[in-house]
Amino acid sequence: MDNPENVLIIGSGVAGMEASLMLSKAGKKVYLVENLPIIGGKIIKNEESFPNMDCSTCLVAPIQQEILQDANIEVLTLSTVEKVTGKQGDFKVTVRKKARYVNLEACLGCGMCYPVCPVVLKNEWEENLMDKKAVYVPCSGSLPNVPVVDASECLFLNGKDKSCNKCVEACMFGAMDFSQKDEELKLDVTGIIVATGFELFNVQELENLGYGKYPGVYTAFEFERLFASNGPTEGKLFLRDSEKTPDSVAIVHCVGRDEVGYCSNICCMSSSKHARFIKHNLHDAKIYNIYSDICLTDKSYQKFYDETKSHDSEFIFQSDRKKMNISKKDGKLEVSYFNGKETKESILVEMVILANALRPSDTIEELSKTLEIKRDSFGFIEIEPSKIGSVETSRPGIFVAGCAEGPKDIQGSVIQSEAAVAEILSMLDR
Amino acid sequence: MSEKIGIYVCECGPNIASKVDIEKIMDEISKLEDFKDKELVIKNHKLLCSNEGKEFLEKEINENKLTHLVCAACSPRDHDTTFINVCKKTQLNPYLYRIVNIREHCAWIIPDKEEATRKAIQYIHAGMNRVLYQDSLFEKELDSNPDVLVIGGGIAGMEAALNLAGEKRKVFLIEKEENLSGKAVFLPEQKISDVQKNKNIKVFTKTVLDKLIGFMGNFEVVLKSTENPDETTELLAGAVVVATGYEFFDSKKLPEFEFEDKDDVINSLEAERMFSENKKITLKNGKEPKTVTLVHCVGRKEVGFCSKICCDYMLKISNYLKEQSSSIKITHLIKYLNLPYKNSQNFYNKIKEKGVEFIRYSDLSVNGTKVEYTDINDKKGKLESDLVILAPAMIASKGSQELAELLNIDLHETGYFQEVHQKINPVSSTTDGIFIIGSARGPANIIDAMQQAKAATGKIFTQLIPGEKIIPEVMVSEILEAYCTGCQTCLQVCGYDAIYFDDERGISVVNEAVCRGCGNCVGSCPSGSIRTKHFTNPQLYQEVKEAIR
Repeated sequence: MDNPENVLIIGSGVAGMEASLMLSKAGKKVYLVENLPIIGGKIIKNEESFPNMDCSTCLVAPIQQEILQDANIEVLTLSTVEKVTGKQGDFKVTVRKKARYVNLEACLGCGMCYPVCPVVLKNEWEENLMDKKAVYVPCSGSLPNVPVVDASECLFLNGKDKSCNKCVEACMFGAMDFSQKDEELKLDVTGIIVATGFELFNVQELENLGYGKYPGVYTAFEFERLFASNGPTEGKLFLRDSEKTPDSVAIVHCVGRDEVGYCSNICCMSSSKHARFIKHNLHDAKIYNIYSDICLTDKSYQKFYDETKSHDSEFIFQSDRKKMNISKKDGKLEVSYFNGKETKESILVEMVILANALRPSDTIEELSKTLEIKRDSFGFIEIEPSKIGSVETSRPGIFVAGCAEGPKDIQGSVIQSEAAVAEILSMLDR
Repeated sequence: MSEKIGIYVCECGPNIASKVDIEKIMDEISKLEDFKDKELVIKNHKLLCSNEGKEFLEKEINENKLTHLVCAACSPRDHDTTFINVCKKTQLNPYLYRIVNIREHCAWIIPDKEEATRKAIQYIHAGMNRVLYQDSLFEKELDSNPDVLVIGGGIAGMEAALNLAGEKRKVFLIEKEENLSGKAVFLPEQKISDVQKNKNIKVFTKTVLDKLIGFMGNFEVVLKSTENPDETTELLAGAVVVATGYEFFDSKKLPEFEFEDKDDVINSLEAERMFSENKKITLKNGKEPKTVTLVHCVGRKEVGFCSKICCDYMLKISNYLKEQSSSIKITHLIKYLNLPYKNSQNFYNKIKEKGVEFIRYSDLSVNGTKVEYTDINDKKGKLESDLVILAPAMIASKGSQELAELLNIDLHETGYFQEVHQKINPVSSTTDGIFIIGSARGPANIIDAMQQAKAATGKIFTQLIPGEKIIPEVMVSEILEAYCTGCQTCLQVCGYDAIYFDDERGISVVNEAVCRGCGNCVGSCPSGSIRTKHFTNPQLYQEVKEAIR
């Protein structure tokens, strides 16, 4: 390559992937660091994405595949950034790469190792709606399609049963490798893009909404996984721990909005999408969207919302989010709220989906300290206020893209990542 | 040269080997009647995609001097590229190779081993049939021009020009008005002088686009003066950035909005300009207002979309008014509050604490500065204030339709320019090399517009590198001159505008640099005179006749 400058990208969601591919095309070497065993980010949890109801996997799998096959992009899964010294144009980065205990080159992803593993665990990636083994891939269709061993739970690795060798015996490619050790990598990079995404607000903080108490109450991501054809129910809309489909569903918007202090941008659209999905699958189901404001950030979104409102779901206005209450009544869930006239009303449903607010990802606090970049009062990474319209953080040479900077939809995340690429390439050109 | 076909069966470890009879496949393939006179090399391998497997394959192609290659392995999604890359290291043209999927299509889905084996043989046979009809294809390299034409001298266009311009890349920035600036109230002064000082940006004011032909890397541009249409300028550019901004929906078009220019009814932009110039928002008589009504969502229903940024700037105007005099009584008439920017919610809370009132309306009428409304509970109300500030919907700027036609890019049903993919490719238009940014692609505030300008810059930096050639698609359509009747059906179905009509010869011609090989034209051609390279009728027929036998 003519320009051997290296770039570090932290986070492999849509923003991180777009930036990686663009920089590779410009002849740069990219280190793509991801703390999960797979790349793709949050979009791969969704079966379909609004407003065109595109199949999300079909949208991103080719991008993931391209990244994995790109010789200019070194994908570092199970990795975290530990230390950054130096300055713009000359950063020295230390990355800690956890052992996968499966050889990435030798493994074909045939899946023979999981059934024989005796350890049964909850699969957090599937929102704990299904089990996994101590050797697992988070979901089918994971890329790279290579399992990972949970070292603290594997009987051999944690020493509880040194004789357990079942996955090693089941693997016909000799891909299991318990001799792997965590590694420390030293990278020299000229610029850094932070694209670590978001997490969802913990709805258990709001006791009035009954999450955890009533099995019929779901978070938005739990519902996304129910809705997913590669998820715990293979896309069948069964209520938790049963094979019964709900006859009525309430989708509650803005859950945690007052607590986090901002609008999360995407929930009005994803809640409309959920209403459509339910109606499409359960024609007779009664669906309610309970909202307090409607946030539509793209020219095409109003139409989607209008159509959902006229075909799929009743939209109910609630005047005070804090006064909502969910309780059990006649074997159903009673959702009570205050309407526009400040009068208390209620509906009875079998399923409630809480559209929880987006919040900064768990790793961002530590990462921002490592990178020595400033965060805003909400905990998101802050764009340097003097650089209006830029995506550069408080530390020159470090850029931010996507939900690490604040809640936004995929379009907004991609735009920021493309902007970060422009700023990095301009910087390198000088 | 006589054909020598290599057939390599991948066992994929046990994935294929345990579910089909590899020996039987190889044996039956070697005995195929219709390949009796062809030389075949048939081998199996434990794992062709492994490094060792790839080296094996490379050696096999070279040592056996293969003329064609069939790999019976997994899905092309997994390893088509892998084997193409192996071919590229050898003398074998990669278009003389074919992958046959005997894993997902046979081994993994058919429980009966004999049946799976039979199907695998049939599929390999089909692949062998096809590969013999394939042709060598070669990548072409085209010179490209790195310069960029930016249309629109507002904040988005200026930001794009400043980011793009450099030693190796000139920018032509055209603006139809007399001056650069656009609609943004704050910020432009600095930008304008930065643009004017930049020796790599050539600014053309009072200028519009007259004509554009060509494709990414090679656009021929004709500009014309708005004052004298005969005064034209011709130039070359590799990419185009469209930053033509927005316009306000005309509130006076709505029957329920009755006011005249003399009334104290202004729009949000006028209020912002007034504040930025005089640090005060005043009435027509110069006095300061004591009561102000701010009406949101004017024309929203008519245009069919939410303008995204108005709630935010209406709050800002409220704040200006409160700073001007804390005793001003302010009422916002809103439909919904749309506050997508992360600091807006706190700002809203702050404004509310200052005593600003918010009423949700379902209907309203404006008569001068008198506003009558019905709220969401069907309660009627009336506000008589000194000043009414409207937030009209933001619509695509006039001339977007004509510009879309000149540029051959699509418009969204809202009238704004359409992205090639709303989510994963948001600043690229439906034509390669043409980008859409700022409020030309939908309502955007200054920060949105500037970030989108940078996004388009990023796209151009990575797609159009100074000094580098561009490699167009190889599997493109071609029109057989002798059969073309000149009916031009293909021109209508081509989604890339890659076909033009040659008047002199009376036939359609494909521009290979623009064609993507989608095959729409092939299907539509009544005389069967179009073929897409690597997907010709004989190739498909040879494959299908065996596969469905």
